[in-house]
Amino acid sequence: MTEAKPQKPTLRQRLLNGAAAMLSPRLDKGAGRVRQLALILGLAYLALAGKLVHLGLSHEPPPTLKAAADQAAAGSRPDLLDRNGAILATDVKTMSVFAEPRNIIDKDEAVELITAVLPDVDAHELRDRMNSKKGFIWIKRQITAKEQNEIYHLGLPGIGFWPENKRIYPNGPLGAHVLGFVDKDNIGIAGMEKYLDTQGLTDPHVPGFAVDPAALKPVRLSLDLKATHALRDELVQGLDKYKAKAAAGAIIDVNTGEMIALESLPDYDPNDPPDMTKPENKPKINRINVGTYEMGSTFKALTISMALDSGKVTLGSHIDARDSLRSGRFTIHDFHATHRVLTVPEVFTHSSNIGTARMALMVGVPGHQAFLRKMGQLDRLETELPENAKPQIPKRWGELNTMTIAFGQGLNVAPLQALMGVAALVNGGHLMKPTFLMRDEETAMANSQKVVSDQTSESMRYLMRSNATHGSAGFANIEGYYVGGKTGTAQKIVNRHYSNDKVFTTFMAMTPADKPQYLYLVIYDQPEAAPGDYGYHTAAYNAGRVAGALIRRVEPLEGHAPLLAPPAHPFPLIARLGYGADADKVGKE
Amino acid sequence: MWRLLHLFAIAALIGSAAYVYRIKYQVILESEEIVKIKHQMNKTRDEIGVLRAEYEHLARPDRVQELADKLLQMQPLALNQIARPDEIPEKNVSADSLGRKLESLGLGLSASPANGAAGASPSMR
Repeated sequence: MTEAKPQKPTLRQRLLNGAAAMLSPRLDKGAGRVRQLALILGLAYLALAGKLVHLGLSHEPPPTLKAAADQAAAGSRPDLLDRNGAILATDVKTMSVFAEPRNIIDKDEAVELITAVLPDVDAHELRDRMNSKKGFIWIKRQITAKEQNEIYHLGLPGIGFWPENKRIYPNGPLGAHVLGFVDKDNIGIAGMEKYLDTQGLTDPHVPGFAVDPAALKPVRLSLDLKATHALRDELVQGLDKYKAKAAAGAIIDVNTGEMIALESLPDYDPNDPPDMTKPENKPKINRINVGTYEMGSTFKALTISMALDSGKVTLGSHIDARDSLRSGRFTIHDFHATHRVLTVPEVFTHSSNIGTARMALMVGVPGHQAFLRKMGQLDRLETELPENAKPQIPKRWGELNTMTIAFGQGLNVAPLQALMGVAALVNGGHLMKPTFLMRDEETAMANSQKVVSDQTSESMRYLMRSNATHGSAGFANIEGYYVGGKTGTAQKIVNRHYSNDKVFTTFMAMTPADKPQYLYLVIYDQPEAAPGDYGYHTAAYNAGRVAGALIRRVEPLEGHAPLLAPPAHPFPLIARLGYGADADKVGKE
Repeated sequence: MWRLLHLFAIAALIGSAAYVYRIKYQVILESEEIVKIKHQMNKTRDEIGVLRAEYEHLARPDRVQELADKLLQMQPLALNQIARPDEIPEKNVSADSLGRKLESLGLGLSASPANGAAGASPSMR
């Protein structure tokens, strides 16, 4: 054992050797040692520098109460304003009460005292949370000044207050479906509020990225608060009068695509938002964006403009509507049967199913599909609002489908989509996506698509105007605004059959018909005939009347005085072709 | 001589130290004031926000409509309330009955033509 490693020097010997070497330095080895030392020190300094850089770059704040509260507290959001600057949504500061369980001496006593002041706080649940390992818990969010005062005077250690933002909608349910709402943490759940979050316009609520509330610029929406109120008020009155299940309406500026107003009833107060997952809140959806419906005769405007734009039909063409149109087992009838050959304006004003079906057949199935796709009726329409819906297109689209879709049956679209399509038909043929933000005409035009010719667009305006003077849109023909309009009454499907007494009525009206600015849409779901209407529950009697009342109210609000005389040359292009010199004098015979 | 200079230097040192000390405290005081004012500003800003929300709530269209229906006798705008400029009757000249009587008696003030046009022979409509 001992002779195994005899040559290895003992520690003692090595120490002595080292001391001797130090005392008598060997100069030949010195340079190497110095280099070694320099290298080690250099590395040490590098490590120090690296650590400094690391410390300098990292913003990790020490875990403090403020950080915990900041992260838990509701972030600030920019104000939402209407197009004239009125506040639609704003933040106000409220106090919330929190606890630091580690600093509370007697938790049971604290819970007892707090629940005495705040009776709606569940004592059992609060005790459980107090006993958890968390350093910061909310006791109650957004308390009143009185409650704050009482808790303050309890003098409990470990209980404090933290200012939070609470979202306020001063106008209650007005425009609720556009505004949407937020949750307790001020995070957008629906509508424009959710849009703000996706656009990064709100406080991102990430530690180290605190945003000064004053730096959040207010967001101006395209809505007009007063017009929205007028729309809601008229819709509510109509809902009452016609005992309908639901109603909706919208106003769009056809030259910019801005939504001036949008309402869908029943609605809700965004200050106290409903739980949309519950079935009883299902009717509170935004029917303009999310509902998809068979739009009925308003779709005839699209069919006729397609036929006119294809050149297969002119305003002077005659369409045979003498007999019902048969296709296989199905027969297409006219609601107001005329049993004669009709001109194109007559097809529109009599709302002839046979006539429009024949026109769609002239264009053919592929042409019909291509036109509707171009008009944005077959794809999901996405606006700023997160809510949208996909149109329900027939799986197999044959001639019969084209015939029924021509007059608005068999294709379900969102009303906003139909509104966009008709707006494009009347504004000179420029299809533009509706927007809920301010937009000027140049931007809108730059992002638009020309879908029909100027002449087709003018023909549609002429047809809608003559429908107001001689056709079904008479109730909305408010003197002085040169209104043009189209009704649509779609039978609802009950037990897989079209019902005769349950209808879905729509009405679209534009003002003024010679150079439209606003397009109004009014929808009633399952309206009944009002007393004195001889049992009529078609669109003209409910949606049409409401649209008329709406035009009378909204136009002066938007600064449009009624004109004493109709415009002298409302339709110059088609007048040159010999039609529509005066829409107000189209013969009805 | 040197001693005096030393004394002077020491005095200057103490003096400047005292001065810096005073300034430091003033700065602390001022920055506390700034923090206080900033808090006040934030508080006032929040209050303004609350008041604006409250104003907007009180001026909301449904409430205004309700009050207008109750308190004002206004009508919806209609075509028959509007007239073209040429339909407006001319301003009714205040009848100067005494002047007319004098004129009929041949005693009118014919000196100023304006008076004659306006007062003596009002254009009647």
